[in-house]
Amino acid sequence: MLARIAQELFWLGRDLARAEHTARMLDGVFHADVAGAPGEQDIALSWAELLAIIGEKAPGPTAAAGDTGEFEALTAESVARRPLGRAVVASLLTLDTDSQASIVSCVARARERGHGLRDVISTEMWEALNTFHLGLAGRDLSAALVSGPYSVYQDVKEQCALFWGLVARTMLRDEGHSFLEAGGRIEAADMVLRMLRVAVPPAPHRSGNEGEALALLHAVGGFQSYRRAVRAAPTVGPVARFLLYDGAYPGSVASSVEALHAALSNADALPRSSPPVLRLGRLIADLELQRRAPDAAAGFDETLERVQVDLELIDSDIEERYFAMAAAAAVHL
Amino acid sequence: MAETTHAGLLDAYQVPAGCRDELIDESGEPRAHAGPLIATLERLGPEALAAAGRRRDRNFMQQGITVEVAGTDGERRDRPFPLDLVPRVLPAEEWTTIKRGLAQRIRALNAFVDDVYHAHEIVRAGVVPWSLIVSRGSFARPVHGVRPPGGVYCHVSGCDLVRDGDGRWRVLEDNVRTPSGISYVLENRVAMTRLMPELFAGHRVRPVDHYPGLLLDALRAVAPAVDAHPTVVVWTPGPANSAYFEHAFIARQMGVELVEARDLVVREAVCYMRTTAGLERVHSIYRRLDDDYIDPLEFRPDSLLGVPGLVRAYRAGTVAIANAIGTGVADDKAVYHYVPEMIRFYLSEEPILDNVPTYLLEDDATRKHVLARIDELVVKPTSESGGKGVFIGPHATAAECAAQARMVTAEPERWIAQELVHLSTVPTETADGGLAARHVDLRPFAVFGDEIRIVPGGLTRVALREGSMVVNSSQGGGSKDTWVLDDGGAVDLAPGTLPAQRPPPRLPDVRYGGWQGQGQQQQQQGAFGAGEISQREISAKNR
Amino acid sequence: MNLAIRYLTQYRYDADVVDNLNALRVKPAANGRQRCDEFNVRLDPEVRLHRHADYFGTEVVEFEVSRPHDHLTIDVRARVVTQDGPSPPAAPWSALREPAYREAGGEFLLQTDAADQVALHELLEATGAGATPLDTLLLVTELIPDRFEYRPGATYVDSTVTHLLELGAGVCQDFVHLGLSLLRRHGIAARYVSGYLYAAAADGRQESIEVDTHAWLEALLPALDGGEPVWVGADPTNRGLTGDAHVKIGHGRHYPDVPPIKGVYRGMASSEHDARVTMTQLTGADPGAIART
Repeated sequence: MLARIAQELFWLGRDLARAEHTARMLDGVFHADVAGAPGEQDIALSWAELLAIIGEKAPGPTAAAGDTGEFEALTAESVARRPLGRAVVASLLTLDTDSQASIVSCVARARERGHGLRDVISTEMWEALNTFHLGLAGRDLSAALVSGPYSVYQDVKEQCALFWGLVARTMLRDEGHSFLEAGGRIEAADMVLRMLRVAVPPAPHRSGNEGEALALLHAVGGFQSYRRAVRAAPTVGPVARFLLYDGAYPGSVASSVEALHAALSNADALPRSSPPVLRLGRLIADLELQRRAPDAAAGFDETLERVQVDLELIDSDIEERYFAMAAAAAVHL
Repeated sequence: MAETTHAGLLDAYQVPAGCRDELIDESGEPRAHAGPLIATLERLGPEALAAAGRRRDRNFMQQGITVEVAGTDGERRDRPFPLDLVPRVLPAEEWTTIKRGLAQRIRALNAFVDDVYHAHEIVRAGVVPWSLIVSRGSFARPVHGVRPPGGVYCHVSGCDLVRDGDGRWRVLEDNVRTPSGISYVLENRVAMTRLMPELFAGHRVRPVDHYPGLLLDALRAVAPAVDAHPTVVVWTPGPANSAYFEHAFIARQMGVELVEARDLVVREAVCYMRTTAGLERVHSIYRRLDDDYIDPLEFRPDSLLGVPGLVRAYRAGTVAIANAIGTGVADDKAVYHYVPEMIRFYLSEEPILDNVPTYLLEDDATRKHVLARIDELVVKPTSESGGKGVFIGPHATAAECAAQARMVTAEPERWIAQELVHLSTVPTETADGGLAARHVDLRPFAVFGDEIRIVPGGLTRVALREGSMVVNSSQGGGSKDTWVLDDGGAVDLAPGTLPAQRPPPRLPDVRYGGWQGQGQQQQQQGAFGAGEISQREISAKNR
Repeated sequence: MNLAIRYLTQYRYDADVVDNLNALRVKPAANGRQRCDEFNVRLDPEVRLHRHADYFGTEVVEFEVSRPHDHLTIDVRARVVTQDGPSPPAAPWSALREPAYREAGGEFLLQTDAADQVALHELLEATGAGATPLDTLLLVTELIPDRFEYRPGATYVDSTVTHLLELGAGVCQDFVHLGLSLLRRHGIAARYVSGYLYAAAADGRQESIEVDTHAWLEALLPALDGGEPVWVGADPTNRGLTGDAHVKIGHGRHYPDVPPIKGVYRGMASSEHDARVTMTQLTGADPGAIART
């Protein structure tokens, strides 16, 4: 398929996954904000950290380098001027149309890409994206954040779920499907990894306090799954390992990486000689090895870092192998 | 029709003086072919019509079937595409005439394009002056002497037809560059079957949904004969284009790639597209942008929307481009004047469809005559489309008439004048669910691959403001679903019984009627970002 | 004259570029006044050449370098034999109104420049005084260098006549565009000519001289006996009609129809270029000279 289209699908997947994970994290932090006193917990997941997790993420490829700088400047400015409380961060990451990382921006970009992809995606998918965008744009989000943020994030989660459901039900399982899936998965893995790296303190500082890690689970929507899958109390260590390694939980990094591998293997005409596919295979094996290691807690931080570096390399492998044609054409003088 | 309760629906129905209404006769009764339709509308009543209108607007917004309209504050907004819920109904025998007339006209236009870029026979015969041809901005010198596969140039055409007060169909203008609107024809039909299924009862309406298949067949038929399965693409200027929706629609319906210039590259005079698996050969391009933007090496050097070297590939015959480069010379408004003569010259036939009486203004006597009557005439710029710059004498003030007269005097070659056509009317919904007479035109769509095929009906555009004759969607026009009735006996002639033609016979397919499409002519406009191509034009400047 | 021409153009890019497509209009034309005996183009990087004649009859040499490269050299060599044209006809103004003349003039009667009529008014008056179209042609070639300074670098490749009028200075291309604008307004068909001009060394020795590509114009003058009108070359940069030192490449309505080199490339690189034309008068055996009268 056209390299440009594949790239747009890939980033459509990323934008939506980012919107969904941002909503989940905001929801989780709101929850923690109400439920307990942040700062006294082991888990560092409150408003400032949230900004660090999402703020350092660069936007997609068509939002060129200049835009990244703009966003960083905006964030830095906000940080300098105002205390990083709920009001500032929640609105910056939810409804600020000037911020590339806000949910409304992600959804607007996804809808824009969807508009350009209308001959590739199913009509239902396009209509879901369009309705999603129009719904957010037509709603008084500031008021909703004050009166009931839960409903806002619930709506975002549902719309994302609707979209992916329609992908599963209505989109032709062709190469385009694979790139869309790949985009969603790599973004999901990346978001969870970032959250773990920011929120989980280095091992020596962890306590065994139950309940502290609940915010993490809420922030990815994995509380119920954890309870059913893991016997241990939801303390930091087991929760973090669950989110990184547990292949049975679809939101874990391991699951996302597996799905990414499967998607690219489908899309690639020659997967056996494809750098991103090969690198993903090695990463999967490595994660499995780590999971089985006798002392899984030791070296957890290093593992997080290594996986994230790997994901970055895989991202550039994907860019090079599938989208380089589109990139070469996008050169400006 | 019997004295069924008209329930007030048509009581206040007024047809403007001098115009013909297509569904209602002079005595205020429905015409025979529209009987069941009008009866159903009356039975449903205004409330049902208004409710269906609200459903329509909601659905179109949701589906993104919108047009950009400037509000009173000047800001442009997306509005649901204004589909009027009362269809226009054409009896079968009327359609047969239109279809044959269009096929004839398109064959002549196609022959003219070929002649202009090769033998110049019509010039040597003294029918069309060479000076007129070379003065057209659309005369494409880079393709002089290039003959595309099959000698087909006008693969897709959408001529605008109007119906005068005397009931005669006339061609108002020809569109053989990149006519748009077919997507609305198909979408209108789908929407009507969902919104107002009751209306279809009592009529056998011919389908239109085979258009994408016809177009794909045509594009494959003209592809260079190399591979068993030629690769066809639709080329769009990009999402910023006002007709982008249609480009995506057509690509999707045909199941082919929708490409932009940056997806295409020419290497060694062969055109390829950039895919995730490398370069893939392209054989046939349905392009939806004007010649000027096709290839910066041959046309406008400042255009970065184009594909450098594409004309080279076209010249080498390795890629088909539809419509062919240079067809604009045939739908120029000054050339339009000569189309009836072209039909006689190339086909040795009498035109089935008339032109609207048109005056070229370079001749002193004609110009004087026109300027004296400018308040009765329509004056159009020769090189514009989409209704831009059109002057309508009867609607103009004295000062506007004087200003137009000055412009004509200063540059007579840039203008033509036409008699005002009293466009026919069709009942059209009003805000409260009632019916009022509104002016319409018709753009049927024809596809020319190995033969000319026309989908039944076409795009009916309707001026939604009372008394207005401007139907362009960019200027407040709407559209109607257009029904060609399958009336049993009154069907087309079998091919063998058609009048003799000059070879090669290119006849409308009998099973398929005409094509309809609508929408404004595509313009290249809007801000496309700086493109990817570094441009240099030398340097080796003459000193 | 028997001339050897070498036209060498070199580009350097500050990074690799790809898909470098070019069209050259550099080959001396063959017509009643000149003959091209030898013509070849060498490229570095080496790629295949494609040739065709364009709408105006100019031979176009096209090529593309698609693989990455950081330089491009175009080395054109030609040998040509030229001679002076016959003396031009001085038919009366009335002959311009003949339909046959208008038809022969075709697109070369149409303005290609949107210069303001008012700004041209005085120049039109001054040049309109000619007793015949030929006189006016000569007046145009005199008036332009009188009124405008020849100043290399004053204008750009896409400068308009308006630009020249405002600036009061330009190069041969601008002079020709102004000349075309004036002649066409007088009803005389006129076309842009691209070519090479041999300017002999002062001492008359035969040597290689460095020149540039040059531009002049041709006007369509009606024949005296009512026969076919003829194209007469005139050089508004060098005051007067053209002679055997003018080597024509081709003609068009205006410069964009006959640019010597036109190209595009992809890449994130800017380019520098250097172009030089060397012309050498050859003597001795003049085996293939056009029969001289």
